[in-house]
Amino acid sequence: MAEQGDFLHVVTTDNLTDRRIALGRAMIWGSAGFLAVVALVQTLQETGYADFGFSTWRPTLYAYVLWAICLCWGQVLIRGERGKRVLFVLPAALFVISMVVFPLLFGLVIAFSDWNLSSPTGRTFNGLDNIRQMWTDDFYWNAMANMVRYTLAIIVEYAIAFGLALLLNSQIHARKFFRVAFLMPLMLSPVAVSWMIGKSMMEIRFGPIARLARELGWASPSFFGSPEMARFTIMVMDAWTYIPFMMIMILAGLQAIPRDIQEAAKVDGARSWRGFWEVTFPLMLPVSITVILIRIIFKLKLADIIINVTAGGPGGATDSVTSFIFREYRDRSNVGYGTLLAMVYLVLIVIAITIVMKLTDRWARPRY
Amino acid sequence: MKVDLYEHAVRVAMSRRRLLQGTAAVGSMAALGGLGVKTAAAQDNIRAEILKIPGVGAGSPTDADWQKVGELCLATTKANVAEGEFEGVELTFMGLNNQNLHNFLFRGFLKPWEAYTGAKINWIDLAQADYNARLQQSIATGTVDFDILEMGAPFEGDTAGRGLLDEMPDWVAEQIEADDLVGYLKAPVGTWDGKTYRVTIDGDCHTFAYRTDYFGEGGIGGAEVPKTWQQINAVTKDLAGKTDPLTGLPAHGYLDPLKGWGGFGFYFVANRATAYVKHPDEAAWLFEPDTMKPLVNNPGWVQAFQDVMDLIATEGAYPADQINADPGTTAFSQFLAGTGSMLMWWGDVGSSARTSDTSVVGDVVGFGINPASERRYNWRSGAWEEEMNEAPSMAYIGWGVYVTSRVSGDEKKRKAAWSAAAHLGGKDLSLWTSAYPSGFQPYRNSHFNYEEWEAAGYDRAFVEDYLGSNRDSYNHPNAAIEPRIPGIFQYYSVAEDELAKGFAGQYGSAQETADAIAAAWEKITDQIGRESQIALYKASLGM
Repeated sequence: MAEQGDFLHVVTTDNLTDRRIALGRAMIWGSAGFLAVVALVQTLQETGYADFGFSTWRPTLYAYVLWAICLCWGQVLIRGERGKRVLFVLPAALFVISMVVFPLLFGLVIAFSDWNLSSPTGRTFNGLDNIRQMWTDDFYWNAMANMVRYTLAIIVEYAIAFGLALLLNSQIHARKFFRVAFLMPLMLSPVAVSWMIGKSMMEIRFGPIARLARELGWASPSFFGSPEMARFTIMVMDAWTYIPFMMIMILAGLQAIPRDIQEAAKVDGARSWRGFWEVTFPLMLPVSITVILIRIIFKLKLADIIINVTAGGPGGATDSVTSFIFREYRDRSNVGYGTLLAMVYLVLIVIAITIVMKLTDRWARPRY
Repeated sequence: MKVDLYEHAVRVAMSRRRLLQGTAAVGSMAALGGLGVKTAAAQDNIRAEILKIPGVGAGSPTDADWQKVGELCLATTKANVAEGEFEGVELTFMGLNNQNLHNFLFRGFLKPWEAYTGAKINWIDLAQADYNARLQQSIATGTVDFDILEMGAPFEGDTAGRGLLDEMPDWVAEQIEADDLVGYLKAPVGTWDGKTYRVTIDGDCHTFAYRTDYFGEGGIGGAEVPKTWQQINAVTKDLAGKTDPLTGLPAHGYLDPLKGWGGFGFYFVANRATAYVKHPDEAAWLFEPDTMKPLVNNPGWVQAFQDVMDLIATEGAYPADQINADPGTTAFSQFLAGTGSMLMWWGDVGSSARTSDTSVVGDVVGFGINPASERRYNWRSGAWEEEMNEAPSMAYIGWGVYVTSRVSGDEKKRKAAWSAAAHLGGKDLSLWTSAYPSGFQPYRNSHFNYEEWEAAGYDRAFVEDYLGSNRDSYNHPNAAIEPRIPGIFQYYSVAEDELAKGFAGQYGSAQETADAIAAAWEKITDQIGRESQIALYKASLGM
């Protein structure tokens, strides 16, 4: 049992002394002031308004940690027992501020900067220049249009995954083998898929898929040679990797449908096709919506296969927004512009996903 | 030592270090009695011995071969470092792992060095396409996490210019016999602000390689080997639809890489452009020196881009799927494997033709310097001149091994890092890397001793042709030297991206593609700082 003076000793709000509360407030405001001063000094030095300051932002980080500790301790001093409850939440909140909020704010600053990694002067504020550049960048909008195409392909992926799930849910021979076999592509990283399929099997001279295509009459099977073909091939490779994920989720959903519902439908005369549309499919809607939403999130991050196989080519034709941003950062060292594109993309994704979730909310409710 | 012996040594131009080594060797041999004479002879013959590893025609060298070569070339290290002197020292080495070359060899070469000195090396391997980005980010974010760096001279502006490199000690220059380097690799290359930072391990210039079975009397490519880009383009178009005499597959002419390579791909259109735009009276060919205004969209450069676009438009001129071929593909998967008849590449494709397992063209390969142009563009007068113009491209100005300033404060570590670099840049070891697949080409005056190559198994005609193309390029009075300015690979990388769009038909014309590159280059110059770029550009061109 905790005793008076221990940190865990129960102090109700009634027992709080003025001295104790004052000390708590002093700790919080003192450390906050210290943090503000350190950050201000550093900012003034970074922006060239002051000659003094620290060589790095590290002291600001230390001041932030000190403030975080004082804030927690101060809450206990000021609020007593209720303050201790804050201890459970504050570390997580402070962590989120450090790891999510701060990087996002810093990203926002960079997004309005001109920053080339070779520049000895580093980062300079350039107002809305990056937005203007984005607005007139045809190749960025081409990447955005590609994202729409790639995302729409999910409808086809979903249909195939549903078909495979139905097949594996029925009484077929070697069902377990097929379940494992169909899951294999999901085990591979997209980088491995890029090399195995895109670079090796589809290689125009010796790749077995290219050879087969030649046997079938395609004289020069260049899977990445034209913009349309390259886009299509990228979609196929991505689908090959992730259809198993959709399939396994749908299969789990199918197995969760109570057998008596389907049997009752049969008794009522629903033949297999009608039974699927009127019973199985509606019951699977919640699972389907979830699967599609997760898949959209995966798809919006599509980059690795493109970077490895086509590097966005030919001529930017296969670029996704993510691969485009990657090249802006990596090859062109356009840190400011790349960050702006990333921020804009983040906002668009959040808006799009919110709308999709609102629209599908009604369908996603369980039907049984 | 007797005075007459000393004088004799001076007469035969023996260096002080060699003299001491010789004296020590003779002394120790004398102590060992009769065995001494034989061992000393073997030591003298080290160059012939390493050239037999594995031997021309014996297939590609393996890790065991690299280690053997490293072991046999340790004598110079032993002269400066005591056994076990670097016990407990750990060094991080960042370099390229391109096509199983560079870092792979270094590992083998340095294994006996590690065993002798007691130091340990940790490796950071980078693919060619990732090299620039990784180095640039390390520099910009102040996270240089390597002690030894394999780097090309073009990056000296980014590294030495920011004080990230350690100055080379005198004993290293002596150990590697730096005086032996070919002229264009001596200062200012490898020096920055008058200080030397680099152990050179490579030359670098693009040379022309062609298939001898395509040309000559009755050859499908014509009686004469093309000497100009105009002839090359005509032959390439003419070869479409014909059959390769070696493989029986479709015949092709010049192999342009149409896919980028992390910035390195830009060299492969620049080597077309130099013939059009590098004027003998001007050192500058990428930017106007007083303004940093890009020259890349002048009519000469546009002609180079147009050449490639014309070949893309000619069905069958390029192998199928050339749009996805980067320079690694054109050299190693296409030319050496028997696809296509003409190629521009760094010199090492020559030694690879004869000594790599992947080559089938070793008996039918010939070499020349960068093709000429029948006319050249003078950017100062803004007019074409009807003059034949040759301008070999000194693409990348050679790889070097650099030591970073991370070790500057620790004398033991610093000596260890420089010793490792000196071992890799040693005179004898470099002869081996020139003669076998390594990613490096001849770059020392001593590499042009034809007899040594003959003794290794090369035939005289091949050696004269191959080494001659390198030597003629290095010594060419109108060689196109690239500038060592900060961000040079950002310029190349963005150009590569825009070119890929142009080649894929995303821009309306070659001029439009060139204008897009120029606009992007202007932006980079503004970002980095125009005034400082002008100053560095002029300095790097000796203006």
